[in-house]
Amino acid sequence: MIFSELYSAYYNTIAAIITEILERETSEKALQKIIAERAFGESALTILPTLKSEKWQLVHPDMTTPLGHIPTMPLTFLQKQWLKAVSLDPRVKLFGVEFPDLDDVPPLFTPDDYYVYDKYSDGDPFEDEEYIRQFRIILDAIRRQTQIKFEMVNRKGATMFVRCRPVRLEYSEKDDKFRMITAGWRTVSTVNLAKIQSCAHYSGDKQVSGEEKSVQHKTITVKLIDERNALERFMLHFAHFEKQAEKLDRKTYLVKIRYVQDDETEMVIRILSFGPMAEVLEPESFRKLIIEKLKKQKNCGLK
Amino acid sequence: MSSYSERIKNFEKIRAYMREFYVYGFKSRDDYQTKSARSYDDERRRLESWLGDHMSFVRTPEGKTVFLSIDSRTIRHNPLYSAWKTRSFTDGDITLHFLLFDILNEPSVRKTVTEILREIDENYLAGFETPMMFDESTVRKKLREYADEGIILMEKEGRKVYYRRAADTDLSGLTDVLHYFSETAPCGVIGSFILDKVNTDTDAFTFKHHYITSAIDSGVLAALFTAMREKRAVEITNLSRRKDQPRCNRIVPLRIFISVQSGRQHLLAYLPEYNHFQSYRVDYLSNVRLKEPTPRFDELREELERIQSKMWGVSIQRHKWNEESLEHVEFTIHVEDDEDFIVRRLEREKRIGTVEKLDEHTYRFSADVYDSSELIPWIRTFICRIVQMDFSHRARENQFKEDLEAMYRMYGIGTEEGK
Repeated sequence: MIFSELYSAYYNTIAAIITEILERETSEKALQKIIAERAFGESALTILPTLKSEKWQLVHPDMTTPLGHIPTMPLTFLQKQWLKAVSLDPRVKLFGVEFPDLDDVPPLFTPDDYYVYDKYSDGDPFEDEEYIRQFRIILDAIRRQTQIKFEMVNRKGATMFVRCRPVRLEYSEKDDKFRMITAGWRTVSTVNLAKIQSCAHYSGDKQVSGEEKSVQHKTITVKLIDERNALERFMLHFAHFEKQAEKLDRKTYLVKIRYVQDDETEMVIRILSFGPMAEVLEPESFRKLIIEKLKKQKNCGLK
Repeated sequence: MSSYSERIKNFEKIRAYMREFYVYGFKSRDDYQTKSARSYDDERRRLESWLGDHMSFVRTPEGKTVFLSIDSRTIRHNPLYSAWKTRSFTDGDITLHFLLFDILNEPSVRKTVTEILREIDENYLAGFETPMMFDESTVRKKLREYADEGIILMEKEGRKVYYRRAADTDLSGLTDVLHYFSETAPCGVIGSFILDKVNTDTDAFTFKHHYITSAIDSGVLAALFTAMREKRAVEITNLSRRKDQPRCNRIVPLRIFISVQSGRQHLLAYLPEYNHFQSYRVDYLSNVRLKEPTPRFDELREELERIQSKMWGVSIQRHKWNEESLEHVEFTIHVEDDEDFIVRRLEREKRIGTVEKLDEHTYRFSADVYDSSELIPWIRTFICRIVQMDFSHRARENQFKEDLEAMYRMYGIGTEEGK
């Protein structure tokens, strides 16, 4: 059962509190900090007062405990089943890790039990040895905050040699691709992993300065007409953005969506996919991009 | 009158609110007519407690509107997982949990219920002013419950039953795996439960086009996976937005269809009563009850495999066994000299069907599918270059063209604005 107190933030927080009490002489302030980090906004109102009142007989009012061991719990059957399922995913080869012995555990699901039907077909070659080698170098550099050097061919076909500090890996489920986000590279900050031709740790003395480039955001305002279930489709489709919706009348809604400026072309076609149910009101520059496409379409002679 | 608690017993109650706040987010308190005002206030307060920073509100003439707004590209972990970590428990549950694992502190320690109970009373509770009282049946019930969860092992010797904790699992080296798959694998919340157990340093992954909504359907999904693994039929409760009353169906679950472009998940299932295949939105399903194993599971899944090659999305139009009713879809686009990326888009985005090169600047996509309406949103993404269309379902083709005309009018194409 997924919804179980065994996985609850409260159980985890109590385990952390008992650990703290067993490991050092602690203070109420330190325990409140643990609660703030591990539990919820209002948990502070409950956890310590309940412990102190001896309703949960795990800690005495003087903040000592009758327990003698750091609280731990073995993995549940469900957790092992999920781990086993993950171990069957082809992408797991990227990480080159040994899974614990789960021979007697049936997987929660297998690749046959689900189907991602709309991811793009030119995803990264997750089982290619060179790709895996490069992935691990980059991941290691992120962990150790060190630099790498790599070679890639840019859009114009020219070979580039780059030294940078990888900051994180961004994975897109739709594209089924990893992108490396870097710091200290003047011209570009993001590169598709599959475009890297060779890659190695940099062991020289030269340092890169600077942090990850900040991204520019823009906001569009869309008038949505709720016909053909457009409201639900639209709101789910754009669910992963920061957004705000307002109901204007029975069938009309106003939705503001904040997006990264670099993704504007993709946003235009995503809005277009909703046809006449979604009209961009602002900004004018975005509206013009749609108008341009529609004007071209009108000249295509589609009868 | 019961008092408010940020912990809950029934996840189903909060599931609908989370979806409303996160996906829609425009309803005010008065719009939640089917629930009591107090229920709304409690659930909103809980979500504010669990999800703090992600909750926002605006004041409109209709009242205060609360919504959840999250740019999933900027977060490392799905904040909605928090909701799965809020299960309520009794004072006895939590006390007993920590005492049991302190007594059975390593796999080599094994004890009977009587021995455990004696230790609880003498070594743990005696120091409290008003010690809790646990009876043998309560402790035995908890140990059995834990044995079902796989964290306690039971060993019978003669008439005695001994209990010991299950062996720990070595999770070292799995941190990156857990960070990545807890966001990308089905039922990722379980990975998040495991991550809660390990000390993790900063993780290396972020996610783009990342739909986090399905997290709240993980309970239903896990039950459906269990049914598939055991090749069982299930009874489910289905409440679609188009119907007022939930319906109960007996079905054979066959596969989960996941969309990474719309954030929706569907169950493809076989309905023995009607002899047809059907898709169900997972977020409309609840209360999955496992029924008897079905000997036809493999045969049904094989048939689904065949059907799948003619599905663009999840629609099969109530496809009956051995009945085939396909619709032909064809459209042609024009590309300029420097627009190879458009041809690559056609190739990588088509899920089924074929792309033909007609000449240097013209490409045609064609497919036979169960439901051609599912391709319409995708075809619209090629607006500005569609030169020809041919749908066997004429009404759909005409609708597409009428929609285009409506868009021209909407954006003033041919008028002053769209000159």
